[in-house]
Amino acid sequence: MKRETAKYRLQETWSILKTELNYIFHDFGALLILAGAIVIYATIYAFAYQPEVLRDIPVAVVDQSKTASSREFIRIMDATPNINVAYIPESLEEAKDLFMRRKAYGVIFIPSEFEKSIDTNEKTYFSIYADAGYFLMYKQVFLDAAEAMQEMNSRIEMKRFLMAGIQEEQAMAVTEPIVTETRNLYNPYGGYGTFVMPAILILIIHQTLLIGIGMVGGTWHELNLYNKLIPPDREKMSALPIVLGKAAAYIGISIFTCTYAFGFHYKVFGYPMLASFWNLLAFFIPYILSVIFLGLTLASLFRKRENSLIILLFTSIPLIMISGVSVPREEMPYWLYEMGKIFPSSPGINGFVRLQTMGASLKEISSELLNLWILTGVYFLTACIGMRQVACEGSKQAACEESKNKIKE
Amino acid sequence: MSFIKNTWRVFRREIHNFRTHKTFSLLSITLPLVGLFYFFILLDKGVATDIPIAILDHDNSTMSRKAARMIDAAKSPSVQFHVADMLEAEHLMKKGKIDAVVELPRNMEKDLLSAKQVKVTAYINGANVTKNGLLDGDIRTVMYSLSAGIETQTLIKKGFSPEQAYDMMMPVYLEKHVLFNPFINYGYYLLPLFLSMVLLIFILMSTIFTFGVELKNGTAPEWMETAGNNVFSAFFGKLLPYTFIFTILTMFIGTVMFRFMGVPMHGNGGMVLLSSLLFVMAYQSIGALIITLMANLRLGLSIGGGYSVLAFTMSGMTFPQMAMYPAIQTLGKFFPLTYHMNLFVDQAMRGAPVRYSMPDIYALCAFMLLPLLVIPRFKKICSDSKFWGKL
Repeated sequence: MKRETAKYRLQETWSILKTELNYIFHDFGALLILAGAIVIYATIYAFAYQPEVLRDIPVAVVDQSKTASSREFIRIMDATPNINVAYIPESLEEAKDLFMRRKAYGVIFIPSEFEKSIDTNEKTYFSIYADAGYFLMYKQVFLDAAEAMQEMNSRIEMKRFLMAGIQEEQAMAVTEPIVTETRNLYNPYGGYGTFVMPAILILIIHQTLLIGIGMVGGTWHELNLYNKLIPPDREKMSALPIVLGKAAAYIGISIFTCTYAFGFHYKVFGYPMLASFWNLLAFFIPYILSVIFLGLTLASLFRKRENSLIILLFTSIPLIMISGVSVPREEMPYWLYEMGKIFPSSPGINGFVRLQTMGASLKEISSELLNLWILTGVYFLTACIGMRQVACEGSKQAACEESKNKIKE
Repeated sequence: MSFIKNTWRVFRREIHNFRTHKTFSLLSITLPLVGLFYFFILLDKGVATDIPIAILDHDNSTMSRKAARMIDAAKSPSVQFHVADMLEAEHLMKKGKIDAVVELPRNMEKDLLSAKQVKVTAYINGANVTKNGLLDGDIRTVMYSLSAGIETQTLIKKGFSPEQAYDMMMPVYLEKHVLFNPFINYGYYLLPLFLSMVLLIFILMSTIFTFGVELKNGTAPEWMETAGNNVFSAFFGKLLPYTFIFTILTMFIGTVMFRFMGVPMHGNGGMVLLSSLLFVMAYQSIGALIITLMANLRLGLSIGGGYSVLAFTMSGMTFPQMAMYPAIQTLGKFFPLTYHMNLFVDQAMRGAPVRYSMPDIYALCAFMLLPLLVIPRFKKICSDSKFWGKL
């Protein structure tokens, strides 16, 4: 008897899986989101971020000093990686116009007394008007100008100390007692694509699965497919075969999309790949499962085909933000960051970046893995509850229609 | 005259629909508000403070401890671990516990006292470029000022008076000017970007939805009939309710940003308001274009959704357009958000004269011409039943 039931459940699961896949492959809209979106998005985003770094930002320098010292300083600035002295306008007004017309992204002003002050052992200044509207440009122009200033200062100080009778080798140590070097780990050139693409890809998988599952779920609801799938000799479908059958279909699709995104796409664009295949597998199993079960839970709530897209699309940017990429987690309220852990995307992004970009071991991302497995368990239960609800409604409708038919007869 | 009458009738019909189906208010009021408040909370602080880092102190002297304390006192880093070796630091970083480790060399104090140059190395996690930039800047600044302090002491020891030492040091200093207001608050520039993103997604979705639902339910002829078969009445009557709602939301955003969250306004506030209104209408126009071309609610939503999210990257507010490939830069011109953000930066942050922002205004207006291109198709899909009733 028990074996009979088990066999029966297995058959049900199989039929759900077949129907789901068959349905998806005949639905252009669902296919576009579940499989097409990853290809389209990954390619567009990858190309947008492929230059990786912003170098040689055009800057206008107003040189009122026009002396050997000021020209030396301009050369030092131009030699920095980020500043490109593209214009040397005559007046600040002219520079301002270049700035407003977005020809120059920063204005540097050197006063007329620049060299005189240096020669007479007085202090002088230079002014910087950097563009705070674009954070990355602001930071780079500003940091490089500060660096150029330090270089200029050590050159002048060296001369002064030598003149004051300090020996050459000592003068070096006196002008710059501490040399600070910073090294970027895991992303040596501070590439923007290397930084955001792993997170974006993980999120695309998350969002396309949620929206796709919801869309198919909503359609089944509109077409009343749950009802039609009920075996003739049964009153209703049980939840387990629905959840497992559907999940199996999406696991199949995810194998394709993940191989594309984290195999093919990753190789083509050359992002850091420090994780072994088995480690990636150990990560993706709970990640994909938790996303699919969350998707099935949500799908049980959607009554209409378009609802999942309407409700879930806008969560993409909030979800990537709550994971602590782009907006550092130290910038947002602590509770908000912690709340993010109820979505697979947060532990997914953090775990994946550390595993793949930084080469962490499974043990080093154990808290994220645990987080994902807990979500898998919880969302599996909620998916079962949700699907049971849906199946019950289906059976009620069936009963309802049956009675209607009887009346007609 | 009949045009206004027809438009009014469509307008009233739309209000009626709005009241009977909750998806309309969900799309234009509830979800946008949820999104807006989310970002108000997320970016309220505006700066990242106390990012955990570790110190690898090989010297363990008064000087090295002073350096560690100074780093800890800076805004973004917070020294939370003292590690014994690099391996331990690496392990902590891979566990996500720290984002940087500063290595202070052996004999740091001794060397500094005997006027020998010392090298300090900071290893910073590059996997997160934002944090990396903050930590890099702060650690360098701290070490630079520590270095300057030591320099003064050395000079005094060499027999110079403190005044002489002061004069000899840092001959050139940097003067940050307030002319273009370089605010370093991260929130000031992210806030308008995120809030506009929330708005544009829902402007597009609500436009596509309200058009598409007429097709899905096969009520398009009824809609055209209400409009007296005037395409413009049908368009305006349908879109105006949402133009009002989203304009009110825009004003709400402006009030919160400028009044309560401290975002500066150095230019012409009227221009920002005008741009916001045009921004709403530009996205409505694009929505109308997409749904007319797709003639299918679900496909329209998918395409519109895909298009809307891309605006974030294409606007160049995070990774600058200037650094992108020319082809991608050109692509960026097809997103109204790009112009709206340019204008916002010009007016609110740079205080640019109005004339510099006029090209952005013209560009936003140009998007409104798009629906004109598809009027014939629009008429066709509203009269041909083969476009109706699709899921």
